[in-house]
Amino acid sequence: MIEFVLSAAQSVLMIALAPLFAGILKKAKARMQHRNGSSIFQPYRDVAKLLRKNETVSESSSLLFRFIPYVCFGSMVLLSLMTPFFFVDVAAPYGDLISMVYIFTLYRLMMVLGGLEGGSVFGGMGSSREMMMSVLIEPSLLLSLMALAGLTGGSTAVSDIPRELIGMGVIVLAPALVLAASSFFITLLAENSRVPFDNPSTHLELTMVHEGMLVEYSGRGLGLMDLSSMMRLMIFSSMLCTLFFPWGMALTASPFAIFVGLAAIFAKVLFVTLAIALIESYLAKYRLFRLPNLLTASFALSLMAMISLYIL
Amino acid sequence: MDAAISGNLIDLCVVAMLLLSMLAMTTTRIAQLLNAFAVQSLFLAFLAFVIADSTGHTELFIMGGITFAVKVIGIPWAMRNTAMRLHAGREIDSTMGIPGSLLVSATLIIVAYLVTEPLMATVDTIARNCLAMSMSVILIGLFMMVTRRKAMAEAVGLLIMENGLFLGVMSISYGMPLVVEMGIFFDVLMVAVIVGIFALRINKAFDSIDTSVLRRLKE
Repeated sequence: MIEFVLSAAQSVLMIALAPLFAGILKKAKARMQHRNGSSIFQPYRDVAKLLRKNETVSESSSLLFRFIPYVCFGSMVLLSLMTPFFFVDVAAPYGDLISMVYIFTLYRLMMVLGGLEGGSVFGGMGSSREMMMSVLIEPSLLLSLMALAGLTGGSTAVSDIPRELIGMGVIVLAPALVLAASSFFITLLAENSRVPFDNPSTHLELTMVHEGMLVEYSGRGLGLMDLSSMMRLMIFSSMLCTLFFPWGMALTASPFAIFVGLAAIFAKVLFVTLAIALIESYLAKYRLFRLPNLLTASFALSLMAMISLYIL
Repeated sequence: MDAAISGNLIDLCVVAMLLLSMLAMTTTRIAQLLNAFAVQSLFLAFLAFVIADSTGHTELFIMGGITFAVKVIGIPWAMRNTAMRLHAGREIDSTMGIPGSLLVSATLIIVAYLVTEPLMATVDTIARNCLAMSMSVILIGLFMMVTRRKAMAEAVGLLIMENGLFLGVMSISYGMPLVVEMGIFFDVLMVAVIVGIFALRINKAFDSIDTSVLRRLKE
């Protein structure tokens, strides 16, 4: 019972902290560029304000457009129930890594349809670019998770992998883990439309991908879409921190283990957030036609992770 | 050193070498390519030290030292000099795009694994799993020599093949006799020098080091 309460609590905590880490990311980026930046709590205020407002919907869109924010938000809530955060058990242990990958795909599909619904040029361009990237992201994401599952004995259940990894000792240096983690990090950037792939802080350029699809949303719909994209980043970072580097996670429900687990996950997610901020300040967005190079590199990395399981 | 840790270190070095040869396939500039080669040789030297330390084959220390001096410092420096004197050669032409060549390299790794798998069972050394990786590095170097158009990049492909060869030798028999190794190092050094001179001459004669232009010789 206590396990279930803990795992439900960690999902709520993950949802509640998603805007905070988005705020920290923005703040860190601003500080690295010698700006003051807005408060780290600003995303909470933005979302709260948007959720109170009414929606304006394009005349050319159908009923589907009104449902999309709820489907997207719902799929992210589902995913946060399936991802471990500080405790190794999850509240919804019925899915595994493969179903997680395809819930992400459902989210993306809905967002792409929403981009097409409004009938605007920006939305259409954003959608077509997102689909192009999606074709390349999905195999490398799946393959890196498969390599991880192969490393830890073949189970794709999310709770088994951290347990196995913690029990494996000096496996930290194992090439398969390092390769799969770096491949996963590249797909994290691609999937969350971070800098080499997309510029998350622009609405004005012709180069936008993710924001282009959100152009038609307003009010509550926009608030939900923003919140779900923050949650997506949060879920991806905690997947990286708990599946690939689970050390410090709470394996039992004792208070000390929970305290250590909380401290460890905060430190790890903060580290990932700062790494993303560093990359965003250091790199410029890539030209669209250079993106396949990077995504193929990510695919090659995860393929090598898989092969190294057999060779070494 | 603990056996598990040194085993992991060996694996990590070998994978880093393979990764760097993949990276070399994706580079578009000669300086990046030379850096990738230098770092790959650095991992090779480190690997020689780790193997020497954990097996007691002290002559591998000497080999690692020579690798460091020749391949990490000497050859990249000499080739960078040549590249600077040529002025051109910043951009590297390849007959195949980056995604394509990465996928071909990945296929080559699988081929190398299939070819070396029966061999691996017959040797009994600490680093015998490196054999498949060394074969992959050799094949990727060969693939680079085939697809690249500029003479400099082709030379680096040869040097990467040579790195793979050393890795293979280390993994199955802890290195060759020192005399043979010295000979090979001398050969490699000569390759670097000769390619440098050749590239200069080709550049003088054809105003480019693009080897596909050499077909004009037939006329």
